Amino acid sequence: MHNAQQLEYNRFNVFQRIEHGVLLVSFTVLAITGLPQMFSLQPWAAFMIAAMGGIETVRIIHRAAAVLLIVGTIYHFVAVSYRVFVRRVAMTMLPGWQDVRDGLQALGYNVGLVKTPPRMGRYNFGEKIEYWAVIWGTVVMVITGFMLWNPIATTSFLPGQFIPAAKAAHGGEALLAVLSIITWHFYNVHVKRFNRSMFTGKISHAEMEEEHALELAEIERGQQREPDPEGVRRRRRLFTPVAAVITTILLIGLYFFVTYEQTAITTVPRQQVDVFTPLTPAPERVQ
Amino acid sequence: MSACYFRWLRIAVWMAVAVITLIWRQPVAAQTAAPTPAPTTAPAVAPDAACRLCHADSTETLTLPSGDVIHAGVDLAVLDASVHGSHAAAPVYCTDCHGPRQRYQYPHAESPAQDRVQFRAEIATNCEQCHVSAEMHNPGHLQAAAGSAVPNCVDCHGGHDTAPVSAMQADPVGTCQQCHQKFDDPHVADIHAEVVANFGEGQTCQTCHASEPQSEDAKCQTCHSLLTRQLTLPSGDTVDLHVNPEDIVNSMHGERVVEGIQYTTLRCTDCHREQGLWGFPHQPIDAETRRDLTIGMQQVCQECHRDIFARNADGVHAQHIVDGNLEAATCADCHGNHAIHDPDQPRERVSQTCGNCHSEINAQYAASVHGAALLGEENPDVPVCTDCHGVHNIPDPTTAAFRLSSPQMCGRCHADVELMRKYNISTDVFDTYVADFHGTTVTLFESQAPDEETNKAVCYDCHGVHNILPATDENSQVIKANLLATCQQCHPDATANFPDSWTSHFKPSLEHNPLVYFVNLFYMIVIPATVGGFLLFIGTDIFRRSREWFGRRRQRGTDA
Repeated sequence: MHNAQQLEYNRFNVFQRIEHGVLLVSFTVLAITGLPQMFSLQPWAAFMIAAMGGIETVRIIHRAAAVLLIVGTIYHFVAVSYRVFVRRVAMTMLPGWQDVRDGLQALGYNVGLVKTPPRMGRYNFGEKIEYWAVIWGTVVMVITGFMLWNPIATTSFLPGQFIPAAKAAHGGEALLAVLSIITWHFYNVHVKRFNRSMFTGKISHAEMEEEHALELAEIERGQQREPDPEGVRRRRRLFTPVAAVITTILLIGLYFFVTYEQTAITTVPRQQVDVFTPLTPAPERVQ
Repeated sequence: MSACYFRWLRIAVWMAVAVITLIWRQPVAAQTAAPTPAPTTAPAVAPDAACRLCHADSTETLTLPSGDVIHAGVDLAVLDASVHGSHAAAPVYCTDCHGPRQRYQYPHAESPAQDRVQFRAEIATNCEQCHVSAEMHNPGHLQAAAGSAVPNCVDCHGGHDTAPVSAMQADPVGTCQQCHQKFDDPHVADIHAEVVANFGEGQTCQTCHASEPQSEDAKCQTCHSLLTRQLTLPSGDTVDLHVNPEDIVNSMHGERVVEGIQYTTLRCTDCHREQGLWGFPHQPIDAETRRDLTIGMQQVCQECHRDIFARNADGVHAQHIVDGNLEAATCADCHGNHAIHDPDQPRERVSQTCGNCHSEINAQYAASVHGAALLGEENPDVPVCTDCHGVHNIPDPTTAAFRLSSPQMCGRCHADVELMRKYNISTDVFDTYVADFHGTTVTLFESQAPDEETNKAVCYDCHGVHNILPATDENSQVIKANLLATCQQCHPDATANFPDSWTSHFKPSLEHNPLVYFVNLFYMIVIPATVGGFLLFIGTDIFRRSREWFGRRRQRGTDA
């Protein structure tokens, strides 16, 4: 078993790692440019805004990062669809009651009420919480972000109050996301143990045993089945055009999102006012 | 020969009498108003009988070192007809005026006078034995410039032919004209005509040239309070030369106590100080136009009001003048010149002062909620022009910096809880503005790029500038009915729902903007719950791991 301890297992392919990198970059930039806008009256926020080139520049950076995030999200949607519909990979990310039980068992194990830790599959309850939080957060942020980016278009079919509400939700969700990353994500993959799998693609035997014992058992039992190449090829023929159309539609939607409206004119029209309109007699009162 | 002999005998007798009398008689010490009564023991013959004997028909002359010739002959008839003559209340003898007596005894000693003027002046000093001194009587002449011929008593009143004062008063101009022939000068005649036109007939030299001691100011006022003439400058502009002295006395420059310091009334020359220019006779003024003159005077104000002047130099008016726009206001345009009063007493005065030049804007202001309260109710709280624009260092209101700092300006009053309570106006307006897109951007620009333009709205973009109306007025730009049009100034594509995306300065609550309130409430619960849950789990994980870690350590300890 000594050899098995040193075994490493493939966990994320290179596309997934790039995808994570894009998300990492866009999320970080969004947080760094977004939170100071939310707390713009705080000295630290004003300092950050000034350091990044002023509020208008910060807004542009924020929007650029938002575009990157949305492109990444569209890619993720297509990539997941491909894995599910073409390669017929099991939907291991779907949450279930087992995840609740695993969470409670882990909690009980931590405090000493339960003797054994939960044995979990490819994605454990902690990772699912995080994944679905990102999905939920991205949906909320994209929708509310669209409203804030295009308030005139939004209010042409929604009540005006949705705009300040969207602003409140955008800020609240952002704070929730950042705090979740700082607590849950950072603790689980950086503090507890630096889980390098998202960068190297590999995971150690020990980590597999602790976090993905069921998946490890499946691998060791050789139950990991490869899809039949013929079926994949067949399904891909259908998938490719459909995905292309959907991707195109989504990208057009993104373009629409970004360019749909010019909320405000670039400059306030200056009023010309006759300033010097002396009363008669002339104001001079020299004697 | 007999005639000659008789004449000499007569002289001898009279001289004997005169000498006896002169030795015996006390000197005269009469007063003008009440001449000393004649001595009760009057001598049988007048003490100057001897003088009269020789000088009555003398044709002799005295030549002074200067070459001036004094005639010794005296027309006794004229002398007797004069006020000092036979009708005088008390007799006036030759030596009462021609003193000192010792010199005039016979044979006469040589006169020390070098010329005729000195000779007459010496005689004039004797007038003071009976009359008030020249310093008291006619100081005006004594103040004449050094080197000019100062007239003495006899120059005006005459010598042997001294006329009664009433006679001089009957023809005062003639008296003065004995020396001041310039009166015939058309220039003087013009002035006289003007004084007559202003004050009626009967004006004499003394109307202008008082015989009392004159202050510097009085000299100026002599002309400037009496005349109504105008000065014509090279450009053709005219300058009214009339000054009412009361204007200065009653002005801020009159006698007053400021911060414990007693100030006396400013003199004319304190401001009009270049003696070459403002002394008399005046030098020509080098100002081309009346405007040049007014603007030039600001240098004078600066001498005392240095701080204000320095601040004013940063102001938009002074900058315009520097840039060549001479219409821009200078000190006197706002403060006046002679009748300078508290510029903000009453407060309406500020609005009127600015309105002199900015009449259209002032009319807008007058119709605004602020202006109506000021002008109609004398409300002490509403802003006048200077509250927003400043006083001397008035900034250019068209700059980005002014625009970006304007919310702070409005906030000075509108975020003041005490002040707004009186009018039942919410003080949330500033905070809610700053919390929103417009206000956040403007606040950041103001602190980080105060000179950069931004198109985000400030208070007056929505509420109006000078024509601000109450938010309840049917013509207000910000009431519901007009708000869309107001938004469309910057958001041309905005539709009916769009104005509601602005929270109308209300903090979100169940009543106002409930959707925003609920979203905030949702996250106020969800964020602590989620993050708290994470932290709780993390805490138990750390607890278990540290227990395991200590357990392993203890294990290693026992193994060893």
